[in-house]
Amino acid sequence: MVASISLSIDSDLDKVSLLARAVRALCEDFLGPDDLDAVELSLVEAINNVIKHGYHGEKGKDVQVAVGLQADRIVIDVIDHALPMAAGVLEQASDDPFTFDETDLAEIPEGGMGLALIHMNMDEVEYVSNESENRLRMVKRIARPGS
Amino acid sequence: MLSTDLRNNVLVVRVSERRIDASRAPAFKDEITKCIEAGQNQIVLDLSGVEFIDSSGLGALVSCLKRLGPRGSLAVAGATGAVSRLFTLTRMDKVFTLHPNVDSAVDQLSA
Repeated sequence: MVASISLSIDSDLDKVSLLARAVRALCEDFLGPDDLDAVELSLVEAINNVIKHGYHGEKGKDVQVAVGLQADRIVIDVIDHALPMAAGVLEQASDDPFTFDETDLAEIPEGGMGLALIHMNMDEVEYVSNESENRLRMVKRIARPGS
Repeated sequence: MLSTDLRNNVLVVRVSERRIDASRAPAFKDEITKCIEAGQNQIVLDLSGVEFIDSSGLGALVSCLKRLGPRGSLAVAGATGAVSRLFTLTRMDKVFTLHPNVDSAVDQLSA
């Protein structure tokens, strides 16, 4: 079984939930509730980053999402045409921002959590940027019963 | 987006939105900040109607906690599913006291 579907929205934060819920529905036959939550959160964080940091909150730009449903995995690509993320940002984000001292209020993060959450919630994350587009690829493996 | 109710000097804030995401987080933060500036420093946030929260929503909550300062309390009640999962994943369950429901949160804050 291999199928793929493409969806797109305008770069408007109000429209992110619509796309996230559509992708969650596409994955419902393949993933359990925790994995569905993980995919939905990762996708929302990825699109928020594109709109807030890539397009600097400007509406009217395109955000595309391609969902590939494969036998053992779900591959989600978030594609944009903004200025690319700086090299190394994605890798550095895997440093856990959640190792704060919970007794020190000033240390608790208010932002900068999105990419780390994507790393924590997906099995593979990679970012490819070329002259025509930026593509963040997120993979969730489908757990087999008993494995 | 929010409705409030004062119980034993504890302000119970119920979130009527099903999602607290980047599109809603700024307004959410502003509304709670207004309550804090009006003098409330014991607050229970009822998230039982919320199905989804992202890191922007969580960041807004942290910002409110910082605004309250060490003398105030912001407790979370009724978080389930993806909402409770995000608190655990980010270790914010160590920062906010999570209660199964509003009654137990109000009991603790007013004790």
